[in-house]
Amino acid sequence: MDFLRPTTLDEALAAKAERPGAVPIAGGTDVMVELNFDHRRPEALLDLTGVGELAEWSRSSGSDGEIRLGAGVPYTRVITELGGRLPGLAMASRTVGSPQIRNRGTVGGNLGSASPAGDTHPVLLVTGARVEVASVRGTRLIPATEFYTGVKRNALAPDELVTAVHLPEATGPQQFAKVGTRNAMVIAVCSFALALDPDRAAARAAIGSAAPTPRRAVAAERFLAEELPWGTPGPLRDSLKRRFGELVAEATEPIDDVRGTAAYRRHALAVLARRTLTWAWNDQQERSPSCA
Amino acid sequence: MAGSLLGTEVRRVEDPELLRGRGTYVDNLTLDGVLHLAFVRSPFAHAELTAIDVRAAEAAPGVVAVYTAADLDLPPVKQFMEVNPSCARLPLATDRVRFVGEPVAVVAAESAVAAADALELVDIDYEPLPVVVDPEAALAPDAPRQFPHLGSNIAAGERDAEGAAVLDDAEVVVRARLENQRVAVVPLEGNAIAVVPGGPDEDFDVTIHVSTQAPHALRTVAAKAFGWERDRVRVIAPHVGGAFGGKFGLSAEHAVTVGVALRHGRPAKWVETRSENLQSMPHGRAQVQYAELGLRRDGTITGLRCRVLGDCGAYAGFGGGFALGPTRVMAQGVYRIPRLSYAGIAALTNTTPTGAFRGAGRPEAAAMLERLIDLAAAELDMDPVDIRRRNFLRPGEFPYTTLTGAHYDSGDYDLPLTEALRLAGYEDLRAEQARRIAEESPVLLGIGVSTYVEITGGGGGGEYASVTIDQDGTATIAVGTSGHGQGHATSFSMIVADELGIPLESVRFVQSDTGRVPRGGGTGGSRSLQLGGSAVRRASEELLRRARELAADRLEASADDIELTAEGRLGVSGVPHASLSWAELARAVAEDGGRLGADTDFRPEGATFPFGAHVSVVEVDTETGFVRPLRHIAVDDCGRVLNPMIVRGQQHGGAAQGISQALWEHMSFDEDGNPVTATLADYLVPSATEMPTLETANTETETPRNPLGAKGIGESATIGSTPAVQNAVLDALRHLGVRHLDLPLTPQRVWRAVRDAAEGNPQAPWREPPGAFDELPVRGEGPSPAAEEAAV
Repeated sequence: MDFLRPTTLDEALAAKAERPGAVPIAGGTDVMVELNFDHRRPEALLDLTGVGELAEWSRSSGSDGEIRLGAGVPYTRVITELGGRLPGLAMASRTVGSPQIRNRGTVGGNLGSASPAGDTHPVLLVTGARVEVASVRGTRLIPATEFYTGVKRNALAPDELVTAVHLPEATGPQQFAKVGTRNAMVIAVCSFALALDPDRAAARAAIGSAAPTPRRAVAAERFLAEELPWGTPGPLRDSLKRRFGELVAEATEPIDDVRGTAAYRRHALAVLARRTLTWAWNDQQERSPSCA
Repeated sequence: MAGSLLGTEVRRVEDPELLRGRGTYVDNLTLDGVLHLAFVRSPFAHAELTAIDVRAAEAAPGVVAVYTAADLDLPPVKQFMEVNPSCARLPLATDRVRFVGEPVAVVAAESAVAAADALELVDIDYEPLPVVVDPEAALAPDAPRQFPHLGSNIAAGERDAEGAAVLDDAEVVVRARLENQRVAVVPLEGNAIAVVPGGPDEDFDVTIHVSTQAPHALRTVAAKAFGWERDRVRVIAPHVGGAFGGKFGLSAEHAVTVGVALRHGRPAKWVETRSENLQSMPHGRAQVQYAELGLRRDGTITGLRCRVLGDCGAYAGFGGGFALGPTRVMAQGVYRIPRLSYAGIAALTNTTPTGAFRGAGRPEAAAMLERLIDLAAAELDMDPVDIRRRNFLRPGEFPYTTLTGAHYDSGDYDLPLTEALRLAGYEDLRAEQARRIAEESPVLLGIGVSTYVEITGGGGGGEYASVTIDQDGTATIAVGTSGHGQGHATSFSMIVADELGIPLESVRFVQSDTGRVPRGGGTGGSRSLQLGGSAVRRASEELLRRARELAADRLEASADDIELTAEGRLGVSGVPHASLSWAELARAVAEDGGRLGADTDFRPEGATFPFGAHVSVVEVDTETGFVRPLRHIAVDDCGRVLNPMIVRGQQHGGAAQGISQALWEHMSFDEDGNPVTATLADYLVPSATEMPTLETANTETETPRNPLGAKGIGESATIGSTPAVQNAVLDALRHLGVRHLDLPLTPQRVWRAVRDAAEGNPQAPWREPPGAFDELPVRGEGPSPAAEEAAV
């Protein structure tokens, strides 16, 4: 197995073009596990940790405030440097592994692996993130909703690398929650993210670990957009929260596996959906000028 | 001399080198010309071996040799306890493999990497056989047999004659089928061994560096297996990164390493990987218990019937035998039980062989009884504390012989319970619990109680210790226990300092080397302080007696008048200037050609029985089933406490592993016998983030069976904590009609039980046990050979 160590993005893209079979590795928190258990044995590893361009984030100059998050920025920096602008992503990042793993693992790596259980995917779906991918042929942006194509499969061409993720700064409350046998250092049984956009009276909801790919719960989103009492202060009706939970559960396509049964996943996602909606709504109430 | 050190929080003398990364482990040894070994392991749980081709592996770069069973001709593996002699295992499989991970061939190479790379080049043909993974399924008459000549998968089994009749006096009977799930030992350092061949012209025929908890026992087994004189074998345990019962004896891989080193006349080393460790180190617990408790309506126990199935895994692993041994011995627990009937089966399955893990059969006994008591409390609408107090053995009843033949030394079971309830604020917790129920909160509070007694320092053995004074006045302890994190160097040095007036920093500590300590029982079964510490105490006393005589000669006084001065000198009573330092006395003895020292073989007056009470407070999210341990209060009574800090450390570690069994850990296999939790991503060991703050305390009820008054503490908190947490979760759900849930209490299990109860269909905790229990031979009268065999 060859170990390729580019120091610039151009070198990395050239290497990937020349060796499409080379597996990119950043923090190694997924790739090394697979190598150690002999689940895969690629012809080469393409180490991206030496590519400085990937390890930075920046904010676009426009007023809409978009963050370009380099694929190699570790979770720890997402939490400490971007917690205010990208609250949902920071919440999901906090639940990843342990401090040591958060120091190494990256959102870019999560996208490269495209595991249905990856912690950040539901957040990328609800924030309307776009994945920036590059090759020697050029750069393109893929909406997160089109990025996940199957179990551990994504929309990358063989010569492409994930270079960044573009995320709009939060304009409303964002929430993330997951269920596991314990809180840390465990692969989620299921996960859920929710983003409210009060200015547009819109909502996005997405699930993880409960379908072949991370996916949005579109009917549940539509329901929230129509039914949430956007302008009205006060707590939400229980019936509304329950119905939202049901619609989220209906969006799942879970399996039975060693971590949990399909029935449990469906049920737990309904609970997470209800709870995150309650938290997000309460958060919204506190922000709203009418309550001030 | 100032006040006694004993009973004070002396900081551990062994920690500085560990904290500075200067610990030395087997893998750190630099050995010239060492061969690195790696094992080809079976990917099948049960199969015939039809052909092995090692040629490609032999030709691989760096490979020196590849061996199968036929090449090495090694003696069978000798387990710590033998459950069935006709289930013998050879270190490398011969014609059949019986669990996934069983070694079939070994590669010896110039580097560890070369050995690992060559593994997949060994070509083995397997003919798969039907597999039995579940111990209850193993009892079915038509189950595939692991040893066809046995006639069944029962490696051992016996029952009391009385059976159901012990429940005849009951007005109420509560029953449950209880799973005490299989767990892995997971020491941070896995197995490791380095074997250096010697010879007739050298000090030893062989030197074995090995990560073990009992070097002398390993020496005995190795000498016998390979035909050496015991004194020609040197076994050294350097720092050991945890053992917890998993590192006793000469394992299959150990024996192969010895065999390869001898074959080549070169050092050979094997250091296992984490996945190998999870597949091959004996697993613990793994019992299914059918237990029934009879009571009068006022809560008084009238009888107990237990039918316990132990899972041996493959090759009659000795952990399965605990169902017949320590679990039975401790079945009566802390209660007055007038009648008791017990049956045990050790069953063979195509899984990793089982063995000892922290508690080794006693946690299973405590969990069984404590669950039944709580079931009875729910059935009779009593408080779990009240029903326990009603049935406790009373302090005046000790010494007490149980119906299973355990000779309890001393006890006052309400003492730690009262203290634990006080620390917990039990009444306030009950009020908070009621408040949440009244508010229909989805997150309920559970308060779990367990009261336990266990057996430590059993097995009938004693312990060796010597104390010598060197000419610089320092003392050297040599002891047959083999500490690996428990703080022996500190505790034993405290005893010497206390007895001889020598400062702690002038006490040296020697252990874990059969070349420097003539004999010893190692460390296990919470034996070390009560046996090794008592031996150190006795040797110190004998040394002081001799020193007084020698000093008396030189100071021209009567030995009766020689006393230890406040400065730690040997002086003459009432004559301030007539005294000798230890160094002066040692030099004087040396000048006469002698040596100032004493040794002893201490034998206790029997096993000791530590006890205690744990209170667990948990939050149970009834919507997701997630359990969060909020508080854990452990009041463990290990007799006299020598160093409270070290005792507390054992309570913390023990409770962490016990809480973890209750909530997270489960070593499991798929239907084909593949382990599905053989990595630390799937097998959930506890970490700091999910542990509640541990609130520990001690009551001190001394034992009369050793001069320290000490009982074991190493396993107590593991035993007490698991049932407390399990009872806490069920306590939270009691008003919903949920009566029992098996371990571990995963979110999914808890949620399902809540849902089923809400639908008016709660899961029944009982079903009839397999018929095999009725067909067991009746246990003979007299003490069981397995009785009080709690030496792991």
